[in-house]
Amino acid sequence: MNVLGFDTSTAVSAACVLRTDGEAFEVFPAPGRLTAPPGHARELMPALARCLKQAGVGFPDLDAIAVGVGPGAFTGLRIGVSTARALAHANATELLPVSSLAALAAGSGERLSLPLIDAKRGQVFAALYDGAQARWEPFAAAPEVLAARLRAAAVDPLALGDGSVRFREVLEAAGVRVASAESGTHVVRGLSVCRLAAAAAPAPPDTVLPDYLRPPDAKPR
Amino acid sequence: MTGPAGDAPGRPGSRTGGPRGAQPPGCILAIETSCDDTCAAVVTAEGELLSNRIASQGLLHSRYGGVVPEVASRRHLEVLDAVRADALETAGVTLSDIQTVAVTRGPGLIGALLVGLSSAKALAAARALPLVAVDHLHGHVVAGTLGPDALEAPYLCLVASGGHTFIARVDDPARYTVLGSTLDDAAGEAFDKGARLLGLPYPGGPALDRLARGGNGEAFRFPRSAPATTGGRDLDFSFSGLKTALLYKIRDLGEAETERRRADLAASYQRAIVEALAARVRQAIERERLPRLAIGGGVAANSELRERLRTVCEEAGVLISVPPVELCTDNAAMIGAAARFTPAIPYPEYLDLDAAARLP
Ligand SMILES: [Zn+2]
Repeated sequence: MNVLGFDTSTAVSAACVLRTDGEAFEVFPAPGRLTAPPGHARELMPALARCLKQAGVGFPDLDAIAVGVGPGAFTGLRIGVSTARALAHANATELLPVSSLAALAAGSGERLSLPLIDAKRGQVFAALYDGAQARWEPFAAAPEVLAARLRAAAVDPLALGDGSVRFREVLEAAGVRVASAESGTHVVRGLSVCRLAAAAAPAPPDTVLPDYLRPPDAKPR
Repeated sequence: MTGPAGDAPGRPGSRTGGPRGAQPPGCILAIETSCDDTCAAVVTAEGELLSNRIASQGLLHSRYGGVVPEVASRRHLEVLDAVRADALETAGVTLSDIQTVAVTRGPGLIGALLVGLSSAKALAAARALPLVAVDHLHGHVVAGTLGPDALEAPYLCLVASGGHTFIARVDDPARYTVLGSTLDDAAGEAFDKGARLLGLPYPGGPALDRLARGGNGEAFRFPRSAPATTGGRDLDFSFSGLKTALLYKIRDLGEAETERRRADLAASYQRAIVEALAARVRQAIERERLPRLAIGGGVAANSELRERLRTVCEEAGVLISVPPVELCTDNAAMIGAAARFTPAIPYPEYLDLDAAARLP
């Protein structure tokens, strides 16, 4: 099965083609780019085209589209999901939604991991993973609140993702381990999205939506 | 979901030549998500309108008293695929009949634009189709070029909506020259703000239009936009002073009297907007000497404005082209119309194309 997987929950567009023969062709953005302004509209489609070209696979040869549905930056998620829905529809391929936090955890290499995606407004989107198993379902919290919850649970996971980079000081002061700044584990990898997709249930394309995890700011009058 | 599908000219059943569902030549799928309407349409390179579907978010935003960009963006993503499927089905074609994808690139709400643009790029790329990146305002200007009574250049065009108000000269449908535009609020914004002051629900334009029908447009005198002295072009507009004038008038009248004279206030306020637009149109007709005026934008649905502009054109001896309302308000058919006059970008050159909240 040829799977195209991508994620736009953070500032970078990560993508990968996992070919039927098991070979992966990946666009793996540098972790330093996570703090730069996002440019998904300019970067996502070229990243997909590059993976496909390297893999020698065309859009019509794809069997499934896998997409990170967040949580993460709203506009980025919509670009990713809108792209994924259209690709799946145009090629009549399966669409496999994957949690961006799960994909982040899958790339950690540790048993107990704490994927954190910057949620803006002083918060992170967080989850706690024991291997592939979510011990804490995704939630949004200030890093101090998160640290207190970790202390109360007496767990010592490795924190990773742009949220952990952004709030490194607060987290480390509270005794949370954070992966080193240059570590590739901070990036939600396209390869992780492809791998998790193998276990994901296909969804009708026009029902796949971002996992915003937070309502819009505006309040009805 | 609303749309003119039922009696749209050139719907598959009424087209000549070829059985229903036969591939129309140069079939263009157009997508528009620049503000709060999710739109998709199918037009042909020859200017036939095969379908024009709109999912309006008006009710959704009325709860907030105005368009909330994040709410609009979320809704665009929720309904765009269904609206597109509906547009294709209404046109009697499938995605495999589409030869070009057209999409609004800007101006508009950036997050909203990006939903349509991302979808359009992916649809086109999946089948290596060319993409046309359309200027939303160009769409309004050439909306009338579709259908059997196609508007032909040269003409003057007044576009007035909640987001834009300008007069353009069109010598060739591939481009337009803006002769004057609003320096502050758009005409539709003035309608909405006035309506809000009068306690009418959002969107206020149509409600104010209805209320005004029972009132006297000469009961109160509100300023007719005239910013020419402040360095603007002769044909520029200004509407911000108008709502301030209404605010003061309401304060002067007091609550009870305002309530009693709401219809008169609405009619007089609407009269001021209509007269401001009509005055500029008259000036433009005299100066530019073009044989025809076309109108577009949501405000073009206003009944008094339509009437007034008909009179202005009659007096000046120029023809007036008033497209059906569903081609005036934001729609994707006009994006398809503009795409006919905009160079297509071949695959894969558009892959890095970005949306633009403003176009130069
Ligand atoms: Zn418009």
